[in-house]
Amino acid sequence: MQTLNKLTKRIMAICLFALISTVTKAQETTTVVDSSLLDRVNTLEKEASYIKPEESHLMAVGLLTFGYVSNKTTVTYNGSSSVSKTNSIGDADHFEFSPMFLWRHGKKFLMEFEPSFNVDGVGVNWAVASYYATPGLILRGGYLVLPFGTYNKRLAAGWINKLASDPEGIADASDFGVEAEGGIQAGTTKWSYDFALSNGMQLQPDGTTQFIGITDNNKNKLFTGRIGFLPLANSSIEVGASLMTGKVGDAGLKYQNANATLWALDLNLVENLSPFQLNIKGQYSEAKVDNAEYTDPNNPTNTYTFNNHTKTGYIMAALRPMFSQNDFVKNFELAARFGNYTTPANSLWGTKDNSLAFSLNYWMNWRTVVRFSYEAIKGTSTVSQSLGGNPGEITKSNSAYIQFCIEL
Amino acid sequence: MKILNNKKLTILSILVLMIGSMMLVLNSCTASQKISMKSGAQLWAENCQRCHNTPSPSTFTPEQWETVGMHMQSRALLTETEKNKIVEFLSQ
Ligand code: HEC
Repeated sequence: MQTLNKLTKRIMAICLFALISTVTKAQETTTVVDSSLLDRVNTLEKEASYIKPEESHLMAVGLLTFGYVSNKTTVTYNGSSSVSKTNSIGDADHFEFSPMFLWRHGKKFLMEFEPSFNVDGVGVNWAVASYYATPGLILRGGYLVLPFGTYNKRLAAGWINKLASDPEGIADASDFGVEAEGGIQAGTTKWSYDFALSNGMQLQPDGTTQFIGITDNNKNKLFTGRIGFLPLANSSIEVGASLMTGKVGDAGLKYQNANATLWALDLNLVENLSPFQLNIKGQYSEAKVDNAEYTDPNNPTNTYTFNNHTKTGYIMAALRPMFSQNDFVKNFELAARFGNYTTPANSLWGTKDNSLAFSLNYWMNWRTVVRFSYEAIKGTSTVSQSLGGNPGEITKSNSAYIQFCIEL
Repeated sequence: MKILNNKKLTILSILVLMIGSMMLVLNSCTASQKISMKSGAQLWAENCQRCHNTPSPSTFTPEQWETVGMHMQSRALLTETEKNKIVEFLSQ
């Protein structure tokens, strides 16, 4: 019994020692884990502290353009004419419903997403994330509106455009890419730059070019850039020059080296000549695609070529008695736009168009407008006879619009 | 309509206006004020009208103005100073 007691005591002592040492060991381990966890928490906190939850902000805005258009088109060739008339509620060409989401993450990051429902169905106008890197540099990646001229990026929204239609020949230029932009002050003048690199355009079987999305057709990237200059201290005048250049041919195919080069000049003038505000905007651009042999769709054994050179320009003037004492009168605005659009002669899409548009706008508030517009477009076909065209055929299109545009 | 057929007209108009603007620059140099010396209110009045009608400060909350400010800094390629001053003015 005595021995057993001794043995039990010993065993108990060993157990106690084992327990204590385990606890001590465990405490030691816990302490080790704690300090490393603390380190990690500290690091994470530091990493996350550039933004607090209340500095994040999501904002939904958006626009609607909706209207009625009545059109009469007369086609005249070799002395005989045909007339067609259409009218539609919704104004198929210009109807657009586009909510836009702006998601600001602190003061450095901004996400922009604008889905759009229009004649093409539901699509996306742009989807980008921007990083405000330094005071004069914003970096961006995603599905961008390319910085070519000013119309697409700045003036195309229904409530910003002063007429019911877009000027002819200004193609949508949105692409997957990266962009760097910024504004710089130089004394009393200002400069701005906006450069993008994107997947680029693809040459189509008829010689037109098209953006094709996220899968690129060649290794080459498209460069697009614009430099803007505001010579006056009050920013009332801006002139800009843009360039877009890149290969358009499919890799490994016959025209893989075909290049497209486009340039543009733009102008913006806003002058307050009390009681009026005068607004003049314009853009002129030319596009040149390297010569290529195309297959005649009517006769696939034949090929043809043409000088693939497109020119397009518009100039717009608007006058509004914005500073009038009369609360009703000051909401009216008169706008006029002259445009021309010349596509390559002897191509399947050859035409020489001139257009003239007028609009009487009534501003319900700063971002809501009702407009009564009229536009006449006269086109002369330059599609060659050998391609089945009617060179010299004249198409006169006259449209009357009632349009409502809102931005929220 | 004859004159409208001249496609050079647009280029010409743009060039004339560009030269006109350059002349205005020369004339206005003496009266110009550096952007850094301007108030937020003045920068707001001068810049927003370049593209669309000018929104009043009451349109949004300060938090929303911060977001719109960043958005418009990009659209209008405003300088950082301009944007900060305009947002500060609009948020008052
Ligand atoms: C260079 C042209 C341009 C200038 C200058 C400009 N805006 Fe805009 N603004 C736009 C465009 C374009 C939109 C429509 C949204 C879009 O297309 O991204 C817009 C939209 C807006 C909206 C609607 C909400 C939003 O963020 O889209 C507000 C508010 C606004 N602008 C305020 C201002 C203020 C304030 C100024 C002056 C500091 C200003 N804008 C200067 C082009 C401009």
